[in-house]
Amino acid sequence: MSDVTLESLTKTYGDETAVDGIDLTIRDGEILGVVGPSGCGKTTTLRTIAGFETPTQGRVLFDEVDVTHVPPEERNVGLVFQSYALFDTMTVRENVAFGLKMQGVPKAERRERADDLLAMLDIAELADRRPTTLSGGQQQRVGLARALAIEPHVLLLDEPMTGLDAELKRRLRDEIGDLLADLEVTTLYVTHDQEEAMAMCDRIAVLSDGTLEQVGPPAEIYRRPATPFVANFIGSSTLLEGVAENGHVDLGFTELPVDAETDGAVRVAARPAAFELDEGQIAADVTDVTYLGDRTQLAATLPDDTTVTLHADGIDGYRVGDSIPLSIDEQRVHVLEAG
Amino acid sequence: MSVRKSATASVRHLAALASTTARPTTERERERRRIAVLCLPFFALAIVAGFVPLAMLVRISLAEDTIWMAGWSLEAWETLATTPTYRRVAWNTLWFVGLATAVSVALGVAVAHVLEKYDLPAKRVVVAAVSFPIALPGIIVAYLIVVLLGRQGLVTNAVAVATGGAPLDLASATAITGLFLGYVYSLLPRATMVLRGTYAEINTQAEEAAHTLGASRWQTFYHVTLPEIRPGIVAAVILTFRSGLAIFGTVLILQSHRVVTLQIHEETSVGSYSPDVAAAIGLVYVAFIVAFTFVGLRFVDNDAVEI
Amino acid sequence: MTGPTESDETDSGPASAAESERADPRPDGGTTESATAEKWSRSGTALSTAVGRPLLVGVVTVVVAFLTVPVIVTFVSSFAGSAAGVVPRGFVTFEHWQQVLGFGTHGVQANAIPGLAFSLAIATGGMLLNVVIGVPVAYALARYDFYARDWVNTLAILPLVPGLILGIAFVQTYPNHGRSALGLLAGYCLLKSPYMVLTVQSSFQSMELVRLEESARSLGASWPRTVLTIIIPHAKRGIVAGCIITWTLAAAEFNFTYMVASGSPDPFAIFLYRNISNATHLQSAAAVSVYFTIVVAAILVLQLLGNRGFSTAQR
Repeated sequence: MSDVTLESLTKTYGDETAVDGIDLTIRDGEILGVVGPSGCGKTTTLRTIAGFETPTQGRVLFDEVDVTHVPPEERNVGLVFQSYALFDTMTVRENVAFGLKMQGVPKAERRERADDLLAMLDIAELADRRPTTLSGGQQQRVGLARALAIEPHVLLLDEPMTGLDAELKRRLRDEIGDLLADLEVTTLYVTHDQEEAMAMCDRIAVLSDGTLEQVGPPAEIYRRPATPFVANFIGSSTLLEGVAENGHVDLGFTELPVDAETDGAVRVAARPAAFELDEGQIAADVTDVTYLGDRTQLAATLPDDTTVTLHADGIDGYRVGDSIPLSIDEQRVHVLEAG
Repeated sequence: MSVRKSATASVRHLAALASTTARPTTERERERRRIAVLCLPFFALAIVAGFVPLAMLVRISLAEDTIWMAGWSLEAWETLATTPTYRRVAWNTLWFVGLATAVSVALGVAVAHVLEKYDLPAKRVVVAAVSFPIALPGIIVAYLIVVLLGRQGLVTNAVAVATGGAPLDLASATAITGLFLGYVYSLLPRATMVLRGTYAEINTQAEEAAHTLGASRWQTFYHVTLPEIRPGIVAAVILTFRSGLAIFGTVLILQSHRVVTLQIHEETSVGSYSPDVAAAIGLVYVAFIVAFTFVGLRFVDNDAVEI
Repeated sequence: MTGPTESDETDSGPASAAESERADPRPDGGTTESATAEKWSRSGTALSTAVGRPLLVGVVTVVVAFLTVPVIVTFVSSFAGSAAGVVPRGFVTFEHWQQVLGFGTHGVQANAIPGLAFSLAIATGGMLLNVVIGVPVAYALARYDFYARDWVNTLAILPLVPGLILGIAFVQTYPNHGRSALGLLAGYCLLKSPYMVLTVQSSFQSMELVRLEESARSLGASWPRTVLTIIIPHAKRGIVAGCIITWTLAAAEFNFTYMVASGSPDPFAIFLYRNISNATHLQSAAAVSVYFTIVVAAILVLQLLGNRGFSTAQR
C-alpha cells in the first residue's frame, strides 16, 4: 500500500481536454472518492493511474516513484469495473488466483491465498463455480477479491455498485467500506453517486470539466463547499446574492450574522434545511408543491425573486400562491466568494 | 520552398512515428505497435497472394510477349476496346446478374419477413433450407439445376406428363432460364442472410404503434418496415451483385450465356489462348467490383455488409 | 397500395357506427368488449391481411422447395440402381458411392481417396493459416480505433478479387509454386479469410473486450500473455465456428482450384467437376452427395457451437 500522487495531470484528446491540470494525493490507506457529472474526467483520471492512458502533461507518482511511463502490467494496481469483467473461462478461484499466477506464486500458495480472500468476502462456497453462474453482487465480490489478491499499491474502483439494486448496494457499500478500512488499502473510488461516496470515503474529490473543484472529508464538502459548483452538485443548494460587511451578510431582504473572509459582494449557499418554516421575517410566495410522503417539498420565491427549495413536514395543506413566513438558520448556510 | 519544407516535415513525422512504434514509451504508442503487429500477418498474405498477383496481371496485359513477359504493348487493351464481342459480354453480364440480384433480393425480403414476423411450424427447416446452399460451390448448383430441369429432371418430367410433350424438348437446364435459376439458387441464400440480420434489428414497437394507429399490414410494411430494412436491402444488393459477378462454376457447366467469367476462361483455354486479353478483362472486372463496392458502401453502414 | 387503403376506409364506416350504438358507458370510462372486438377485427378484413400472408407463405414454400428438393433427390437417387425412367429405381445400392470413391468394379478405377485426403489436408492448412492471420486482424478491428481502420475492415471482410482472377494471376506470378499445394493453401486462405474475420470479430464484439484485457493487464499479465491466455480462450467458440466455415468452403472451392490445380492428386473440387461434367447421372449424384455429407456434418457441429448455420453472426 502506498501514496499515489498526481502532479498537474493533463490529458487531451485532439482538441478536447479530458483532465486539466489536476494535483491530487491519495494518502496511504485512505479511500478517496472521486465524484462529478459524466464527462468530468473522473474515469480518465482512474485510467491514467492504472496506466491505460499516458498523460499529455504531468506525472503519476507511487510513493515518490514516477510511474508515468510504466505499463499497466508493471504497476501492481487493482482494478474493479462496473461490469465486473470476470474471466468466464476460469473458475472463481482461478480468477482470484490469476494475478498471483502472473507474479509466479507457487500453485499451492495461490490456492490458499485465493481461498482466504474468498472467505473474507463471504463467498468461499463459490470457489469452484464459473462466473457466468453468479449473481451481480457475487460477481462484484469476485472482482474485488481478484483485485485485492495482488496486494495492489492502489485499488481503483470504477463505479463498482452501479447496476446493482438499491438494497444490495447499501449492504455491499457497508461491507466493502469496512473491509477496505480494515485492510487499509489505498483506494480510489470513482462514482457518480454522491451518497455512496459520502458513506464510503474518507475524503472526496469533486471534479468538473476536468478540473478539481474541491477535496476534503465528506462533512466538509457538504458543509463548506468551496465553489458554487460543489454547493450545487453535493446536495442541492440555493445561491443567494449578498453583501458582506462587519460579520454580517446583507441579503437585501434580511441580514444574516455570518462571517465572510472579505467584505463586499458574496454568494451564500443555503441547503433546503436552512430555511425554517416558522413565524420568520421573510415572506415567500409558494410556486410549486410536491408531496413526497413523509414530507412536502416546496418551491418558493423570496422577496428578491430567488427561487428556493425547502421541506415541510407532512401534508400541511400548502397551495401554490400561499405566502409563507420563513427564517434562515445561519448555522446551515455557507458563504462563498463572489463568483 | 514551402513544398520542400512541408515534405521534410512529413518525412520527419513519419520517421518519428516509425521510431516510436519500434520503441514505444506511452500507452498510445504501445497500442500502435500492437495494431501493427496484429495486422501484419494479414497484410503479408494480402500482398503476397493478392496485390503482387494483381500487379502481375497489369504487367501481362501490357506485355508484348506474354510468354517471356518482355516488351510493352497496348494491343490487349485495344482489342478489348474495339471488339464488339467484349461489349456484348459486359452487357450480358450486367443485365443477367442484375436481374438475378433483383429476383434474389426480392425473394430474400419475403423469406426474411416470413421468418421474422410469422409463427411458422417448421421455422428451423426453413432456416436450414435457406442457409445450406451458401456452402455449395457453383458446379454443384449446376448439377442441381440439371436434376430439376435436365432431360431426366423432375420438373421436366412433371411438365412432360402433364402436357404430353417430350422431355427432350422441355429440358431447360442448359437454356438461359436454367442458368438464371442457378444464379438465383446461389444468390438467394446470401441475400436472405443479410436481410435476416437486418430484420432481427427492426424496432417492432414502431410497427405495433402503426397497427394501433390503424395502419393495415401493407401500410405498416410500406411506411414503417421498409424504411427500416432499406440499409439491409442496399447491403444485400451490393453483396448479391458482387457474388453474382464472381459465379463461374455454374456457367462453366451449363454454358448457356456468355458472361465475363466464361469469357475469361475461354481466353485462357488452349484453343484461343490470349493471356494478355484475359488479364485485361480480369483487371476491368476487378476494377468494376472494387468501384461498385466502394460506391455501394457509401450508401450503407459498413458493418451491415456480411458475406 | 390503394387497394388496402380503400377497403380500410369502407370497413371502418359501419364498424364505428356499430360501436357507437352498442357501447355502454362503463364506470372506468372504457368501452365494452363487444365494441372493441368489433374494432380489432377491422384490420383482419384488410386486403393485405387476407391476401398478403397466404401469398408470402406460398412464395416461401416454393423457394424452400426449389432449394431443398434437388438436394434431397440427389442424395436419395445416389443410392438408386437405375435412373432410366422418371423415378429412380432399384434401392438401396452403394454402387455409385463405391464407384466415385474409386472402389467400383468397372469403369474408371481411379481411387478418389488420395485426392479427397489431399483436398481436405489443404483445406485444413488454409484453415490453420486463417487462424494465424484472421484472428489477429479481427482482434485489431474489434478492439482498436485506428487510422484507416475502415479501409482495413473493408479489405478484410470483402474479398475484392474473385477466385477465378486470383487463380489466373497466381499461376502467372508464381510459375514454380503457384500450382503447388502451397499455392492452393495461400489462395484458399486469402479467399476464405473474410469468413474467419467476420465470425471472430462478431465473437469479440459480443464480449467485454476492453475491460477483460485491462483487467488481465492490471493483474500483471503482459499484453501478449493477455491475448493468449484470456482473449483467445474467450473467443474460442467464434474461432472454432470460423474454422469450420472456412474449412468447408475451402474444401469445395472450385474457381480458384480450377485455374491453379495441376492434378495428381486431384483436389476435391476437380473430383467433383469431373464427376459432374463427365459421368453418369447417378455417379454425379453420389459424388455430390459426398460433399453434402461433409457440409451437413459441418453445420451440425456449428449448431452444437450455437452458431446459426453458415452465418458469420453469433447468437
